[in-house]
Amino acid sequence: MMFFSQLRGELKKLFARKRTYIGYVVFLIFEALLLTLWVKVGRAQFEELAERNFIPVELLSSSLTATYWIMGFSMFLLGSIYFALVAGDIVAKETEDGNMRMVLSRPISRLRILVLKYCAVMIYTVTFVIFVGVTGYGMALLAMGSEGGLFIWNPEMFILAVYPDRNEAFQRLFMGACFMGLSMCVVSSLGFFFSCLKIKPAAASVMALSVFFIDFVLQNIPFLANHKDAFITFRMANWIYVLQENIPWERIIESYAILMGLNISLFIMGWMVFQSRDFKT
Amino acid sequence: MLSVKNLTKKFAGKDALKGISFEVARGEIYGLLGHNGAGKSTTLGIILSMVSAGSGEVTIDGISVQKNPRKALRKVGAIFESPAFYDYMSGWDNLKVLVGLSGPFDKKAAREIVEKVGLTERIHSKVGAYSHGMRQRLALAQSLLPEPEILLLDEPTDGLDPEGIKWFRDFILGLRKERGMTVLFNSHLLSEVEQMCDRVSIIRAGELVYEGAVNDLRDDRPGLRLRASPEGTMTEVVKGFGGEKMPGDRWVFPEETKIPTVVRALVEAGAEVSEVTPVRRSLEDVYLEHNSSNKP
Repeated sequence: MMFFSQLRGELKKLFARKRTYIGYVVFLIFEALLLTLWVKVGRAQFEELAERNFIPVELLSSSLTATYWIMGFSMFLLGSIYFALVAGDIVAKETEDGNMRMVLSRPISRLRILVLKYCAVMIYTVTFVIFVGVTGYGMALLAMGSEGGLFIWNPEMFILAVYPDRNEAFQRLFMGACFMGLSMCVVSSLGFFFSCLKIKPAAASVMALSVFFIDFVLQNIPFLANHKDAFITFRMANWIYVLQENIPWERIIESYAILMGLNISLFIMGWMVFQSRDFKT
Repeated sequence: MLSVKNLTKKFAGKDALKGISFEVARGEIYGLLGHNGAGKSTTLGIILSMVSAGSGEVTIDGISVQKNPRKALRKVGAIFESPAFYDYMSGWDNLKVLVGLSGPFDKKAAREIVEKVGLTERIHSKVGAYSHGMRQRLALAQSLLPEPEILLLDEPTDGLDPEGIKWFRDFILGLRKERGMTVLFNSHLLSEVEQMCDRVSIIRAGELVYEGAVNDLRDDRPGLRLRASPEGTMTEVVKGFGGEKMPGDRWVFPEETKIPTVVRALVEAGAEVSEVTPVRRSLEDVYLEHNSSNKP
């Protein structure tokens, strides 16, 4: 009971900041921009592609398909930056501002402080991804109406799936958003780990992003194509398999077990550093 | 109530504390004095378990801070210089978040404390809009919740105006009177320490160089600011009376010494006396004596 009350306090700190909402607003603008580009440019190309492949356009050029593209692009481009910023701040900013001394003067263990902060960041990450999905879908509904199913095409992950049934399409997309949220927790965990070190909040965010983008670049080097499984960003991209017609659960479970192991390792390393630190003025 | 035994600490291989020991009795107000970097804040940091000790032990009411920090800190409230709150949240929300880390937040007790520190009207305003004095009052409120038995104050009156300092001093003295609160007070403001504390320690370069009751420091030994030439004759005569040289042409004598006799002896020895001013040894004098650069 006490834990949840403390977690509520931690979430309150996160959500009481105005700049938290700047991120939401930026995402809404970015989603609207992506949707406009989709409607004006992407849709025509997509319909042409669908026609060439004998896929009924009226079923697939839909708000759900648009949501899928909006979510994928906005999360990859902006989400990683945003989560690294928020998670990079979570410990380092309080240390820099002097709040941490106030917190540590209370009878609470450092482990508990970090568990609370980590949980808050993870809740924030997952709910933010779902927020992007829901608002993206809402905008797409307004722009394109509620007709049509879902068309998934991702040549890099070898996925081509068609869901003419709107209910099933919606369920798959929602599931996709949840798994994407879990994937993005890795970026937040990286930010959190660096935030526990004795560095500035901005440095923590930059370090997390550096690891993320270096991993992504390495993953895409052609001669490392056979070793993609070894890269974090490839494992993170496995969320897309829940959109495959026959979901490869074994593969998904394996990837998420690895990601979870990575998250736990990052947390433990962060805790060990935090525990050994001296906090002075 | 608070026992600090042989604390040592090194930062980057350099000794920050070299075996600090002192004890604070229940209901006592104890002052820690020292220059910047002397080791006062490190000592406080170790007591609060924010800084790890190289060796030594701190116990609060018999509970070891090193072995059981959570249990030991249950009895502690702390205030730092320039208290850092979450500026974007109200004073009340700050209290809820911080006090909630210790246990359930008791609204009634919180309201009472807020009223006591005189923040009732502004408690729901954002802390970002608070003055330094109001922040310090909020810090006091959070440190008094739920119900500490000992308060650790780290330069709490720094930056406060004279009115604020007086209010703070009266409040702390009131707490001791009403609740028998034990207080460890770390400050540069010697007059504050003199007015508030029962006992005082002086830390210099990580070592405790003086410990004693504040009343003992208000030393009644006769003191003189003395100037005479030739200086050698003056020194010889004065030392013959058991005089002890202090910084700034100041001499102190054994209690039974009669100053007119000293002056007469100086004149009889052929010294030209140009100044004889009786002085009382203040806490500042003691502090300067123990922190003067010619001390080992």
